Amino acid sequence: MKGLFLIILFSQSLLLHAYDLGFVSVPDMNQIMEYPSDVNPEWPLELIDIAKQDYTRNTKASFCMRPPEMVDTVVIHHSETSSSATPAYINELHLARGTATDPWYMIAYTYVINSPYKGATVPTPLVTDGRPIEIAGAHAGSNVFIPMDSEQAKIWADKKILCGKENEVPTFDATLVKNGKIKANVTTIGVVINGNYAPFAKNNPGGYSKRAPRYPTDKTQDMIARLSCQLQKKYPRMKYIKWHNYYHDTSCPGTIKSYIGQIKTLAKGYGCDFN
Amino acid sequence: MRFQLIALICILSLNLYASDDKAMKELFENYDKVIQQHKVELVDEVFTKKFLTDNGGKEEFVLKVKELPKVKEKKGLGSLLRKWKKSKTGKIFFANVNTEEKVKESPTHQSQFVVIEEDGKLKIDGTVSDGN
Repeated sequence: MKGLFLIILFSQSLLLHAYDLGFVSVPDMNQIMEYPSDVNPEWPLELIDIAKQDYTRNTKASFCMRPPEMVDTVVIHHSETSSSATPAYINELHLARGTATDPWYMIAYTYVINSPYKGATVPTPLVTDGRPIEIAGAHAGSNVFIPMDSEQAKIWADKKILCGKENEVPTFDATLVKNGKIKANVTTIGVVINGNYAPFAKNNPGGYSKRAPRYPTDKTQDMIARLSCQLQKKYPRMKYIKWHNYYHDTSCPGTIKSYIGQIKTLAKGYGCDFN
Repeated sequence: MRFQLIALICILSLNLYASDDKAMKELFENYDKVIQQHKVELVDEVFTKKFLTDNGGKEEFVLKVKELPKVKEKKGLGSLLRKWKKSKTGKIFFANVNTEEKVKESPTHQSQFVVIEEDGKLKIDGTVSDGN
């Protein structure tokens, strides 16, 4: 009896060491969510305060985990909601938006920026965390495929991008890549600016009037630049700033698109370089 | 007994759906009347108070409506209403419209209308950007 107990103890100890040494694959999605990224140990370099938000998640929804080093692009969006919408409200909308066959896990964006329109004073400018960077977003278009560079291709080939549900063993999803191109959501993060920066139209009743177009404030542009730069300092592979309708035909992000060049210039001022 | 219970649930669900469907169609027909035919007296029927406040108030919204060309024939979103769905909580409805008719200022737009119940009626509370 004593011998049997010792054998069980020994085998458990062996198994634990196997996990530590990486001989055994990570058993569930919760554990992957915690894997650290030590790309730049000199971090942090504080350029912006980022508020934390606890989001409700749909545990029945699938999501894909990726090493943050897979991400090289910041994609700018507008939420098309009112500028006073909270990150929690956007999360609620996104959770409600999924269908029974294709539920959404949580807010689609990685960061939410609240800022007033030019000329207004509310809401208070603020950057808030969205879905963790280790979880691929749901913002650039699920059918948009883009080329991978050699490092991204290696991460993919090493099967480091795994999909599944919470408390499930994650699996490799070969459909994320088609004809050598990968889904844009896997290599990008979504940064959403709350508000509706597109013109009033039949299908956009919350849009701006021709008499008073809405533009991002200097503060908003600066926040996007600081946030992007902060991300680049932490993840040096982050080298592009794009916008939603770069990927497919949509009015998002409205007038913000014409400020991307200025945002890159501002980021340069903080010591970052974006294409 | 079990069969009768299932049949009763099905009938009730269908009735609820039919009632919501009718309300949704009416809402988007009224939406067309506001946006296309400039029947701005229906603005309060169609939009939530919060939506109007967020968009500079009713007067400002009416001014925006009048910036759009007035269309006499009924060829608006009501007739283009493709599908709608209720969220699991039952508090939010999402309505999609066909995009075959491109809007010049706002190209192929896949955003969804957010509809909620206010004062016992379905009303538009805004839209949410596309993405997935």
